[in-house]
Amino acid sequence: MLEPPVVALNKSYNRLSKIKTLFACQKKAPYLFVLPFVVSFLVFFLYPIISTVIMSFQRIDGPESITFIGLKNYKNLINPHFFNALWVTTRYTFWTMLVLIPLPLLLAVFLNKKTTIGKKYFKSAFFMPALTSVIVAGLFFRLAFGEQETTLVNSILGVFGIKPMVWLQDPEGSMFAMVLLCTWRWLGVNIIYFLSGLQGIPVELYESASIDGANEIQQFWHITLPSLKPVIMYVLTISVYGGYSMFAESFALWSGPRSPGEIGMTIVNYLYQEGFNNNNLGFASAIGITLFVLVMIVNVIQLWVSGFFKKEGV
Amino acid sequence: MTSKYKEKIGAIIIYLTLLVVALFCLVPFFFLLISSLRPGVEMIQNGISFQIDFSALNLKNYWLLVEGKDGIYPLWYINSVIITVAHTVFSLLFTSMVGYGLAIYNFKGKNLIFTIVLVVMMIPVEILILPLYKLAISIDLIDSYMGVILPFVVTPTCIFFFRQYAMSLPRELLDAGRIDGCGEFKIFFQIMMPLMLPAFGAMGILQAMSSWNSFVWPLIVLRSTDMLTLPIGLQSLITPYGNNYDLLFPGAVMSVIPIMILFIINQKAFISGLTVGGVKG
Amino acid sequence: MKKSLVLLLSLVLFLTMTVSGCGKEQRAADAKAGDGKATTLTFWTFQELHKNFIDDGVATWNTNHPDKPIVVKTEVYPYDEMHNKLLIAIQSGTGAPDMADIELGKFANFLKGSKPGLVEFNDVIEPVKDKLIMGRLENYAKSGKYYGLDYHVGAEVMYYNKEILDQAGINVNDIVTWDDYIAAGKKVVEKTGKPMTTLESMEKWSYYPLICMQGSDAMDKDGNVILDNAINVKTLQTLKDMLYKDKIAIITPGGHHHSEEYWAWMNKGNAASVWMPMWYMGRFVQYMPDLKNKIVIRPMPVFPGGKKSAGMGGTGTAITTQSKNIELAKQFLAEAKLSKEGSIKTWSLLGFDPIRSDAWSDPVMSAPNKYTDYFGTDIFITLKSVVGDIGSINVGPKFPDAMAQIEKNVIFKVLKEQSQSPEEALKVAADDVKAK
Repeated sequence: MLEPPVVALNKSYNRLSKIKTLFACQKKAPYLFVLPFVVSFLVFFLYPIISTVIMSFQRIDGPESITFIGLKNYKNLINPHFFNALWVTTRYTFWTMLVLIPLPLLLAVFLNKKTTIGKKYFKSAFFMPALTSVIVAGLFFRLAFGEQETTLVNSILGVFGIKPMVWLQDPEGSMFAMVLLCTWRWLGVNIIYFLSGLQGIPVELYESASIDGANEIQQFWHITLPSLKPVIMYVLTISVYGGYSMFAESFALWSGPRSPGEIGMTIVNYLYQEGFNNNNLGFASAIGITLFVLVMIVNVIQLWVSGFFKKEGV
Repeated sequence: MTSKYKEKIGAIIIYLTLLVVALFCLVPFFFLLISSLRPGVEMIQNGISFQIDFSALNLKNYWLLVEGKDGIYPLWYINSVIITVAHTVFSLLFTSMVGYGLAIYNFKGKNLIFTIVLVVMMIPVEILILPLYKLAISIDLIDSYMGVILPFVVTPTCIFFFRQYAMSLPRELLDAGRIDGCGEFKIFFQIMMPLMLPAFGAMGILQAMSSWNSFVWPLIVLRSTDMLTLPIGLQSLITPYGNNYDLLFPGAVMSVIPIMILFIINQKAFISGLTVGGVKG
Repeated sequence: MKKSLVLLLSLVLFLTMTVSGCGKEQRAADAKAGDGKATTLTFWTFQELHKNFIDDGVATWNTNHPDKPIVVKTEVYPYDEMHNKLLIAIQSGTGAPDMADIELGKFANFLKGSKPGLVEFNDVIEPVKDKLIMGRLENYAKSGKYYGLDYHVGAEVMYYNKEILDQAGINVNDIVTWDDYIAAGKKVVEKTGKPMTTLESMEKWSYYPLICMQGSDAMDKDGNVILDNAINVKTLQTLKDMLYKDKIAIITPGGHHHSEEYWAWMNKGNAASVWMPMWYMGRFVQYMPDLKNKIVIRPMPVFPGGKKSAGMGGTGTAITTQSKNIELAKQFLAEAKLSKEGSIKTWSLLGFDPIRSDAWSDPVMSAPNKYTDYFGTDIFITLKSVVGDIGSINVGPKFPDAMAQIEKNVIFKVLKEQSQSPEEALKVAADDVKAK
């Protein structure tokens, strides 16, 4: 990287105002540029994280009654509700990954074919759902998955002779609803990730492959997929991140952390319930820290595997 | 001949898949729109269903939106617009500065800061809602526009994008600016910023979209009914005492429209805004 | 070109700052609105109807006390959000309103710690103690101090669909015990094909009243968890039998009696009865209009040696210690909710069973209104016959947790999923509540 040459002209301190000098000075300017992030990081990230860690060792009954209870909050995490939340969240993450990686990849490949017409319209259609808020999406899905025979999903099932189902009171049914809601909102976004990746693959690779007699499916396996590895890794990361921090989808479907039998209780819903509804600030903090560690571990592993650290060279 | 035949089958599969998925994506919009034109009572009786009495559709609910509940809905709309605009503008200003600073200069701690940016990018904000809420109370940010905006104004994702973009800026301009006697900030605002305009477009739209639809934090930080944003306001119409579908559906439709218009006008910027990080290795 | 860009940007910045500034000032101005000399009190609730009730109380207050007029600024929030925000405002010592409605199930959360952030009402309750259904106020008390004033008694009653029972040839007044009820149910199913009743799988209203009517509860008087005692297990088994053995009941459409699915379904005359507290009358009138004149209110069937009713649900209006006008707020609430006139208003405005027993015999109570039009004029005859049996329930610090356990896990797993037996589910829940 080029070191910018020091320019003498700038060093004439006219002392018009201290601020002006500060802003003009090359040595200090970079710090001023990054200052917003540093301040925001310290106040709205580091401080909250530290105070969460502290709170996770406390029992908080009110502003004046705070007691230090050591690891008790973490010990209390060993309970069926937390494990259930962990299990629900993990299943949700698993299913969203299983759907939201291959499907958009396939669609992106279809959209990337030269011969496909109406690409622009398909792209817009796929992307539309991403523009809605989760509340709007939840409103639709909650009613479409209603339990009467007349609701959208049940009447579609009726066509195939399947009995109406009570979706949102059934563990599998509600998992299906949550994953479908997520798929609806994020499909278009993932398609765009894959499309941009596909456009980065040199055309010559395909040309020489087809000269060698490789058919399209072989080309997909031997050229497309390996070239898309970084994008796939990226989508995988955000899927894990998004899956484990899921909150609003479940919140919208059951208007709060109140799914029956905790069938839609994710980790963040559990955190919200304990922290805000039940007022166990200390315990909720312990949930938060656990989730933090969990996500960090998954991310680090993922980055390690993808060789990210080597490339960026810290 | 067989290969031609195969190709045809392939094309049919491709178009069929695309059409089915497109239908899946668009159907909810159709039902939201139709439901917004029906009396809410019908929603209570049947849920969202295929049984639609087209002759009974009317715009009454939209009128209710303006008049109902002492005109609270227009207020939510204004709140959402103000918060989205302010959030986007401030966010672009700050994150472009940071991204530019990280890309152009060499200084002590640069790598550390960049690493932190990357780490923060990967932490779900949901973890922080409790302490942030306490913080917001103690510095009197509760129930204010500032309270919604401030904690999330310096978005790491945007910083990352601006940094990547600024890496490709021509350094010669920087030197030329210095020779002309411009201060560092003058160079940034007058020379570099215009060059980064496409990045601003992409990030602006992305930021506006996430701000407009943001749910978790505003849900927690906003308090009075007349301060709510659209998603939170709509959520508040869903109560244990009966959901106000007459308002919910037209409200939902109206909340989608502005962002939809923005998208249609500027699809390209939307898409490039979203591909942040997706393309890099 | 470059200059104009900078100009534009700064203009936008300036505009947003002023606009957002404006918003704040506007609100400040709103808050100050009202009469100059009137004291403004803030009030949070989660029920739109309570706002109307308080507004009416303010009008009465200002007529009776022209020397100290008040203005009450009410905010209506969604249920969960209101309680969450209030709790944190009280905990953090700032941002709480003068007065707030707190639902019974959440009240214990506000009494944690040594110094609750709420004001005690003892001095306004003492003078009228003998006229109040005190059991209902005990629910909001801790160490002999009363922190909330309820709106109603919430007597648990049975709502019968007379049309269906007539079809089955059953006289409502013959149903006295649960055995009678089940027998009648079998007859209804046989004759009409419709279920006798519906049981909730997501809320507590089908189960919790029944254990209270037998003198049991989730906790005993000292706050020990008795969720898994013999009575509770047996009662849950009775409910399960209604569903799967006697086949006189089905799971409530939508999972609970406040769901749209249920209202729509019930409105079509699909079930012969439902047991809910008195305050549920309002839901019938509002959401099930087609059942007008078909529903009669009767006392609950009794268990051997059990009581005829139980006071269920409730909302205590409280004053926070952060209020700057504690005394005034207290006097206002006492007049609006504890006086005979105020108590009568809970009936005429809200359709609740008033908490003051001397209100019931008032002629106003038998005057026709939308509730008597719907249910007939014998509502208070029913109420009087059961009220002697209404005591308090045991609400210790663990109450919210216990209720959450019943609603989210016990009921659902036993009645709906059938994945656990009554003993198992209650044992798990009891251990869970004990552990916290």
